[in-house]
Amino acid sequence: MNFDWAYFSAQLFTPSGAFLEGLGLTIIMSISAQLLGFVIGLVVAFGRMSANKYLSFAAAAYIWIIRGTPLLVQIVFIYTGLAAANLVRFEDITLGPITFPGNLQAGILALAINEAAYMAEIYRAGITAVDRGQFEAAKALGMPPIMLMRHVVLPQAFRIILLPIGNQFNIMLKNTTLVSVIGVSEMLLVTETINSATFRTFELYSVLGIYFLLLTSLWNIFMAWAERHFALGRPAAKSPPALAALEMGK
Amino acid sequence: MSEDLLIEATNVEKWFGPVKVLDDVNFKVKRGEVVVLIGPSGSGKTTLLRCINHLETVQNGRIAVNGSLIGYRERNGKLVSDRESNIAIQRRDVGMVFQRFNLFANMNVLDNISLAPQLLRGTPKADAQAQARALLARVGLPEKAEAFPQELSGGQQQRVAIARALAMQPAVLLFDEPTSALDPEMVGEVLAVMRDLATTGITMVVVTHEMGFARQVADRVVVMAEGKIIEEGPPEQIFSSPSHPKTQALLAAVLH
Repeated sequence: MNFDWAYFSAQLFTPSGAFLEGLGLTIIMSISAQLLGFVIGLVVAFGRMSANKYLSFAAAAYIWIIRGTPLLVQIVFIYTGLAAANLVRFEDITLGPITFPGNLQAGILALAINEAAYMAEIYRAGITAVDRGQFEAAKALGMPPIMLMRHVVLPQAFRIILLPIGNQFNIMLKNTTLVSVIGVSEMLLVTETINSATFRTFELYSVLGIYFLLLTSLWNIFMAWAERHFALGRPAAKSPPALAALEMGK
Repeated sequence: MSEDLLIEATNVEKWFGPVKVLDDVNFKVKRGEVVVLIGPSGSGKTTLLRCINHLETVQNGRIAVNGSLIGYRERNGKLVSDRESNIAIQRRDVGMVFQRFNLFANMNVLDNISLAPQLLRGTPKADAQAQARALLARVGLPEKAEAFPQELSGGQQQRVAIARALAMQPAVLLFDEPTSALDPEMVGEVLAVMRDLATTGITMVVVTHEMGFARQVADRVVVMAEGKIIEEGPPEQIFSSPSHPKTQALLAAVLH
């Protein structure tokens, strides 16, 4: 086997500045796209559950289209496709010393739009799983719909959907590699660039895999903590079914 | 509508699909009155109760609480559905205690009781919590303020639920079979709290199968069967000399 240990360990332990910047971009993209996805997803979920049939239809169509087409296609469509059709052109934005490149904006937006479709269904599942009696008790006290959601239903739904949210961000971390097709220098694109000069493909992609494994492992540790933390005050026996299943899995 | 009428339901009709669950119901409750609704399962008593705070819609007739229509507004002589936010405002004066307690699972007992007054009445947090502790003492659970609902017995949860409803200082309290989901040994503690409440002059409408409670505490007993009110009167009259054959059958069944 032709494996250059010295090259491998140098790349792993003393990565180039370009690779570390790529790592930074991967983290920035996944966190901002996930946060945006949370917000857009909640709006879509409420639209989907709305009594207004137009809103509900629009939300269902959004979920259908986004979940029914590849993320890679959506990324190219939003950055290159919209620009080619002269609809939207993502320009670089410079704020003082920091430049926010157009392709990075488009990449984050595409990831967020994609994420929102999945989050919308997760929210809906979580809200549906909250006991009807909780809604009725809040209504009977005189809480209007938004207050009822904010103080009673969403906190309980959040505990139910914690595990699926953990899954989503794990997928998000890895999906950022797709944004390389529009030229965002995240870890994969940096690795490809180095590879085209050195052809040390096996070593370089091993290093890339290890860095992703490191990111997802850190996330796993955080989620394990979050599950314990947010399960406080909720004995498994009296929890809603989904949460009881979650706690039994521990 | 006379001044002392708190609840006035007139010609109320409701269907669940093809089944008529409320059939031309006329039901009035005076301020300060304790009314107990009895009747066999499926007679419509819980549905009637849930119409009073508009957890259920009605298809015909009208229900007024404190002199104003609930759930609907009159427009050009026709009734149209009111906005959720308006219905919510009316519900603040109508407390409800549920068969399955429905305490908020995501917060402790103190927050369960003090949340609504803070959000809906603008009560400062310290005052709302002080009031919550006073109410907990009144229902006999002063030491449970920090407990979560899941850590309490059914009887304790129901007493907290009563305190939660009282914290909004409602004009009327609706009880929907408050002891039906309880183990037999816990029924007494909840009935004791309700009996105590009845002496304070608060208006209560109670759906229950507890005939002893009805006999002792009610000012008036209303008997329902098949969606209709078939008989009503003071408890001594209903229990000693029921006039309707269905009331006689019901009492024979539950009193053995």
